Amino acid sequence: MSENSFKRFLSDAGDMTGFVLRFFRELFKPKQEWRELLRQCYYVGYNSLSLVGITAFIMGLVLTIQSRPTLVEFGAEAWLPKMISVSLVREIAPVITALICAGKVGSGIGAELGSMKVTEQIDAMDVSGTNPFKYLVVTRVMATTLMLPVLAVIADAIALYGGYLGANIKGVVSWELYWTQVFDALSYSDLLPAFIKTYFFGFAIGIVGCYKGFNSNKGTEGVGRSANTAVVVASLAVFLIDLIAVQIADLLGFT
Amino acid sequence: MEKEPNKNIKLGLFVIVGTAFLIIAMYFIGAKQNLFSRTFRIYVNFHNVDGLQAGNNVRFAGIDVGTVEAVDIQSDSSVQVSLIIEDEYKSYIKKNALASIGTDGLMGNKLVNINSSHDPGLSIEEGDVLASVHPIETDEMLRTLNKTNNDVSTIARNLRIITERVNNSNTLWSILTDPAVAENVKNAIVSIKITGERTAVISGDLSRIVASVRNGKGTLGALITDTAISHQIKQTIVKIQLVSDTMAYISGDLKYITGKIRNGEGAVGTVLMDTTFAGNLNKSVIDIRKATSGLTASMEALKNSFLLRKYFRKHSKAGK
Repeated sequence: MSENSFKRFLSDAGDMTGFVLRFFRELFKPKQEWRELLRQCYYVGYNSLSLVGITAFIMGLVLTIQSRPTLVEFGAEAWLPKMISVSLVREIAPVITALICAGKVGSGIGAELGSMKVTEQIDAMDVSGTNPFKYLVVTRVMATTLMLPVLAVIADAIALYGGYLGANIKGVVSWELYWTQVFDALSYSDLLPAFIKTYFFGFAIGIVGCYKGFNSNKGTEGVGRSANTAVVVASLAVFLIDLIAVQIADLLGFT
Repeated sequence: MEKEPNKNIKLGLFVIVGTAFLIIAMYFIGAKQNLFSRTFRIYVNFHNVDGLQAGNNVRFAGIDVGTVEAVDIQSDSSVQVSLIIEDEYKSYIKKNALASIGTDGLMGNKLVNINSSHDPGLSIEEGDVLASVHPIETDEMLRTLNKTNNDVSTIARNLRIITERVNNSNTLWSILTDPAVAENVKNAIVSIKITGERTAVISGDLSRIVASVRNGKGTLGALITDTAISHQIKQTIVKIQLVSDTMAYISGDLKYITGKIRNGEGAVGTVLMDTTFAGNLNKSVIDIRKATSGLTASMEALKNSFLLRKYFRKHSKAGK
């Protein structure tokens, strides 16, 4: 049994690698589906904004409120804006955005492509002359890859605003002082690695969702499983990429 | 379903807002590192930079005016630090300003402080080298602190011994706790206070007296201040000296005379010193006494003679 599942895991990994390579081959093939890409960008980016925004706002607020007692203990209350700006921009806002998108977008893609697969719409598309991979997978993966960084930057801004409100619940930090201190603590080595890794987060979410949906089987039950595993694997992928990203950033001296 | 153009507008807005946030963040972070303002470069040589790094702030009169661009070692005793300073502060920083390495707060980042000198000087220019002040090293501070700590511990040990002795000494405690002692001390203080007040009065009087003496009032004042009197006194003293000289001379004569008298020389000497003469004198006196007693008997006989009785009776009446 365990040997079987191990074999399945290996074959899954191999299929996935092939899927990724196929994505890059298909990406540069002619006849780009621009209209479909924009439509997917709208769904992935704009439609996730409210969810990501609320989450980021709450994260900024809560992080500030939670950090205050510890900093007060050290007599470093004035460092609150600096601390939350670094932790939000470097880590929390990108990862939270990616996880929210993995839940919302990844499951959506998995379920959508899975149901198209089991109802044989994909096969029909192939027959009618449209490249289903190009039309369905490339557009969705490109949409998540391009939109996640934008979402993450907006999440940064909203979370920092939440932090401003949080800092002013018990203490007093003026608007100007707060932003001066926030940007004082940040440098390009904080912002750029965090920004670049969100592209990879978006790519992982899109490619995992598409892979799980594209390889869905066993009828409607398979659709549910595709959606579910898409979320689980995408979330795990986000953390794995985060781990790799922090090591690379550390190696390159972006500390 | 919404219309396609509407969705595109929303998507465009979304992307533009996101990009704008990113650009704003990058601008502010870059502005902090002086990437977008006109700057110039100056150098400072330090013996020890105490952990200063590229990107640390440069402060002039407490204002952030730039950043540290690079820290390069030049020799075993010299580290060159290049500083990027914003152009707008160029006219305020003089060539004779002093640079030192400090810390932002107690635990904060290292920074370079530029302190202006009181002396006049020319404005700084691109590529100038500022003089540096030796930074206060934490190690050195801790070494001094360690020494202080040892001293304090010695003092504390001595204090402990003293307090133990005080605690063990019943005499001292009984003195300290005895209310009578306290009362006495209180009284003594009151007395001291009264004495002090009196002393103040007396010293006031004294100072008044001294003042009047100085001004030549009263006898003493006159004596002390009048130059004529002091001259007279001087003359008197001279005369007294003269007299005493004469006296010494006289006493020398006297000594000579008494010496002679003792040796029986001269008439006085004979009278005082010759024993034969004294014996004769003694004999004469005895003879005189004998003669007077004979005379007394003759006088008694005379009183009783009728010839002279009347005279004696009259004489004794007149005596009464």
